[in-house]
Amino acid sequence: MKKTASQLNFGETATISEIDTSNPSFRRIIEIGFTPGQEIELITKSFFNDPLAFSIRGTLVAIRRNEADCIIVS
Amino acid sequence: MVQTKIDIPLITMVGPPNSGKTTLFNYLSGKNHKTVNYPGSTVEYNTSILRKEFGLHAELLDSPGMVSLIPNSPDESVAIEALYNHPEFGQPSIVIITADSNQLTRHLILCKQIIQSGFRTILVLTMLDLLNKRGYDIDELKLGLELRCDVVKIDGRNGKGIPKLIESIQNNLSSIKLDAERKIEKFKVPADKTFLLKSFREIEHIEDKVLTIHEQNSQINNLEKANRELLVLNGVKKFSHKIDETTLRIDRHLLHKYWGLVYFFLIMSLTFTSIFWLAQPLMNLVDTAFGYASEVVFEMLGYTWYSDLISNGLIAGLGSVMVFVPQIIILFMVLGFLEDTGYLARGAMLIDKPLSKIGLNGRSFVPMLSGFACAIPAMLATRTIPNRRERLLTIFIIPLMSCSARLPVYALLIAFITPPEKPWLGGIILSSIYIFSIISSVVIAGLINKFRKKIINAEDSSSFILELPTYRLPKAKVVFNNTLISSKLYVQRAGPMIVVFSLMLWFLTYFPNTNPRVQSENISPMQLHQLQSAERLSDSYASDLGKLIQPIMAPLGMDWRIGVSLVAAFAAREVFVSSLALIFKVTGDQETIQQSILSAMRSAEIEGSGNKLFTIATSIGLIVFFVFAMQCISTVAVAKKESGGWRIPILQILIFTSIAYVLTFIAVNGLRFFSVE
Repeated sequence: MKKTASQLNFGETATISEIDTSNPSFRRIIEIGFTPGQEIELITKSFFNDPLAFSIRGTLVAIRRNEADCIIVS
Repeated sequence: MVQTKIDIPLITMVGPPNSGKTTLFNYLSGKNHKTVNYPGSTVEYNTSILRKEFGLHAELLDSPGMVSLIPNSPDESVAIEALYNHPEFGQPSIVIITADSNQLTRHLILCKQIIQSGFRTILVLTMLDLLNKRGYDIDELKLGLELRCDVVKIDGRNGKGIPKLIESIQNNLSSIKLDAERKIEKFKVPADKTFLLKSFREIEHIEDKVLTIHEQNSQINNLEKANRELLVLNGVKKFSHKIDETTLRIDRHLLHKYWGLVYFFLIMSLTFTSIFWLAQPLMNLVDTAFGYASEVVFEMLGYTWYSDLISNGLIAGLGSVMVFVPQIIILFMVLGFLEDTGYLARGAMLIDKPLSKIGLNGRSFVPMLSGFACAIPAMLATRTIPNRRERLLTIFIIPLMSCSARLPVYALLIAFITPPEKPWLGGIILSSIYIFSIISSVVIAGLINKFRKKIINAEDSSSFILELPTYRLPKAKVVFNNTLISSKLYVQRAGPMIVVFSLMLWFLTYFPNTNPRVQSENISPMQLHQLQSAERLSDSYASDLGKLIQPIMAPLGMDWRIGVSLVAAFAAREVFVSSLALIFKVTGDQETIQQSILSAMRSAEIEGSGNKLFTIATSIGLIVFFVFAMQCISTVAVAKKESGGWRIPILQILIFTSIAYVLTFIAVNGLRFFSVE
């Protein structure tokens, strides 16, 4: 099974391998900087484990868990 | 050929969120600052004439923040549409686009799309100080050549680089005559789903070419510098995207899995209390000032119909608008401060999950918090919610937030039911009312979300993608400017409506018996005036109206006099108190007005029955009514404007007022059943 960004552990880094274009928010996700080849790190989970905040291209971006699911990492 | 619809050049500013666009707009904008709506929508623009000292006569238009020219929401479509052809201003002569130089790849996506559309573009790079601190710089000439547009570096803190920007604007404007061939075409979304990825790669490539080593950095020793040069020369990945260390360190606390929530509630309670406690003395001051103005009018003009119109109609109406201005200014200042530090985005993230359970969004939080001060700025604040369904649902439940106009009403009713020997009970009751209203609004939001297809009538896939900006010290100028603009907007939106309604109400309470006969011996002109007012009111159209709703009030154990006051509360909720004073012929000076109303309330009886009108049961019933009922006419007007139709406000009136009525009925009769009178 493919690993997605939502399965990362706190402080774990990974490289994006592809973006699942079947997610309705996929374009927004790419536009904000989540593109294949980029390294991301899970910086924080909120109290409810959702949304998650990732570091991407030198900035922090908070996205919901189901949106993080379309970011496939390796 | 580029076509503006105004006779001076139009400069439109665009940029992604957090790219420093607003700061730049504040630098460039002079007088005539206006906020305009795109016709028929809620998308808003700030416009202004370019500051005079720059020696250029041009209109400046600040468009809403956007990430790309591919719309993701109806509001974004409107904003993008307006960029190509604004219905009022036409096509821009020049587009200025801002980009954070630390976020070059992300922010140049929009820039490329704009250049591709054919606009004359000036790229403004911001936040270079941060980039320099990390030891890098940008070769703006090279970047300009790559992108084929002018590139200017600006320091937002001191305005360095502004002269260069003006020069570039000038050059662009003077060569505009050569633009006969220029064609502006809408950016089309390529069918290829990977086109965005391709743009990113192209921009990454450009970034690699234009990044240089920042020379004057004394903190980096020579060895490191040499190493970097080597890396640059070798074409190894030169620029590591790193998050600001301080931001990460602060977030370790503020976004901590458990403590984050504690900090959140701490910060929000502080915000909330400051809105109330800081504003209270100022609000009293405004209140006193308008009360004084009212008296002065009578003293100068005597007790005539026109002095009554000016004093009780116009000044009272203006007063009920202005009394909330201090609170709204403080609200916007505190929120602006939090926004500018970068915390608000984090607050939205922390609270997103629980709010999404009832169909809302993390971004609904700030509007809802503002709703505790006043529903009007709160509804205006929902514009930051991109998803239409969530935005409408937020607008829908905002009137349930216990706004401060309810406070005078609660204060009076609590004073009535609290025994004088137990003053501490009042505080407990007031807190319980707030908690009760929060819980019930959560329940109602959940219910409305269940029936959203019928009520909200909008579907939109929910999402929450929010950049958490780098923490920084807020800029007083920006916070101050935005506060000023937002407060002005409140007065413009709420003002006319409240004043007109207050004049209508005056008319209803003054006519037709304009000159009632009363016993006039041995009393002062002021007392005479008060007796006449009370007499006039009991024969007025308002009391006719009240008697008409008597059958509706009877099941609640109330009569037409409370009914009239409830109708009057439609102008603004706090009018309920002054209206009661008028109806119960309360005479007395300002200091003891509450005491005199209270004693009048204690002796009031339901006409023809001998039963007491105000009991603990009916007072609690009234509190319940005020918690739920949709009463404020300006809220109705703003809800109509912000939701783009009458559907939402009409449903709000129907649903909230019937909930209020039913629950009041249950409360009053339930309490009576347990013989609480």
